[in-house]
Amino acid sequence: MDFNIQNIWTFEVGGVEVWITRTIVNTWIIMALLILFALVVRVKLGGFTEVPGKFQNVIEAMIEAFDGFVRGTAGDKVSYIGGWFFTVFSFILVSNLSGMFGVRPPTADWATTFALAFATFMLIHVLGIRHRGAGGYFKSLCEPMLPFLPLNIIGELARPVSLSFRLFGNILASLILMSMLYSLAPVFLLFVIPIPLHGFFDLFAGVLQTFIFCILSMTFIGIAATGEM
Amino acid sequence: MEYFNALLLSSVPEGRMIALDMQTVGNILIQLFNAVLLCAILTFLLYKPVLKFVQGRRARIEGQLTQAADDVAKAQELKAQYEKQLADIQVERGEILEAAHKLALEKTNEMLSEAKREVSAIREKASADIQNEREQINAALRLHIIEVGSLMAGKFVTHSIDDATQSRLFAETLAELEETAWPE
Repeated sequence: MDFNIQNIWTFEVGGVEVWITRTIVNTWIIMALLILFALVVRVKLGGFTEVPGKFQNVIEAMIEAFDGFVRGTAGDKVSYIGGWFFTVFSFILVSNLSGMFGVRPPTADWATTFALAFATFMLIHVLGIRHRGAGGYFKSLCEPMLPFLPLNIIGELARPVSLSFRLFGNILASLILMSMLYSLAPVFLLFVIPIPLHGFFDLFAGVLQTFIFCILSMTFIGIAATGEM
Repeated sequence: MEYFNALLLSSVPEGRMIALDMQTVGNILIQLFNAVLLCAILTFLLYKPVLKFVQGRRARIEGQLTQAADDVAKAQELKAQYEKQLADIQVERGEILEAAHKLALEKTNEMLSEAKREVSAIREKASADIQNEREQINAALRLHIIEVGSLMAGKFVTHSIDDATQSRLFAETLAELEETAWPE
């Protein structure tokens, strides 16, 4: 029973030792799977017809639903960031579900979740300034009045932290619980007991946390870009 | 913090669950790079092309729906025009029928008047002919009566009266004839 992130190898960059961890390797594996899927779709896209077949239907429904999801949550104004959130959603979902196949989910590593949350943080402020102007965006940080500026700044800085720790904590907790269960369950019940718990901790919690991360990120960006709650 | 990290690393030498150090920052940067790279690949290989295809088809379908709506509107307009034309034709038909009926009535009245006039003329002519015929018959009858009367009178006179009586009667008759006019 090991919940820790193992190091695979290390190297130095500018005197700083960089660790290539199991999380990063698993991330590359998941990236490879997603890229392979994207390549298959890209190849098949040439054969897409006006009346879609089964595969085309699934792909179109997936992309269309996601586009609608982004537009409905973040707003039409920032719908061009759909590609980013499609990537984040796919990556987090596959990462969370990878626990069912014995892979340590990359999202059970705070470095991964913080990287994604930090990207959201950057998008919030960059798109806020882009759509509302630097003055308008700064004014929104002073609401309801100027003395609230420090509190608002703290609130903004807390967002990536809360986003990252929510996802990280949930997935890590699922990982720990499932690992403990596998250690405690009798050998002859190893293929029986974990199935419903995988369904809850990996499937249900995994999908739920993916949605929560994406919805919150999109909502923050939508509010920052439009100024509307 | 360093103490905490050292403690964590010493307790878990092969790895760790979480730490706030340069290695974590390095991992965050690597994961950020991975995410951006994956985003670029998925966006340009999958998300954008499929979305473009779907939006293109949606635009085509919307165009076709708009075209269909325009066609329906045009068809409705044509239908309204045809219905108006049909209504006009019905009105025109009614007017033509009414005019024909009126004309036929006028012709009928004219023919009836003409026939009445002809009947009246024929009747008048027949009356005149009858009157002429009656006058001719009366005249012929009168002449015949006169002839018969004359013959009978002649014979009677021949057998019964003498010359003096005859002369006297002749004179009286002439006198009577002079007094009474002949009927017309």
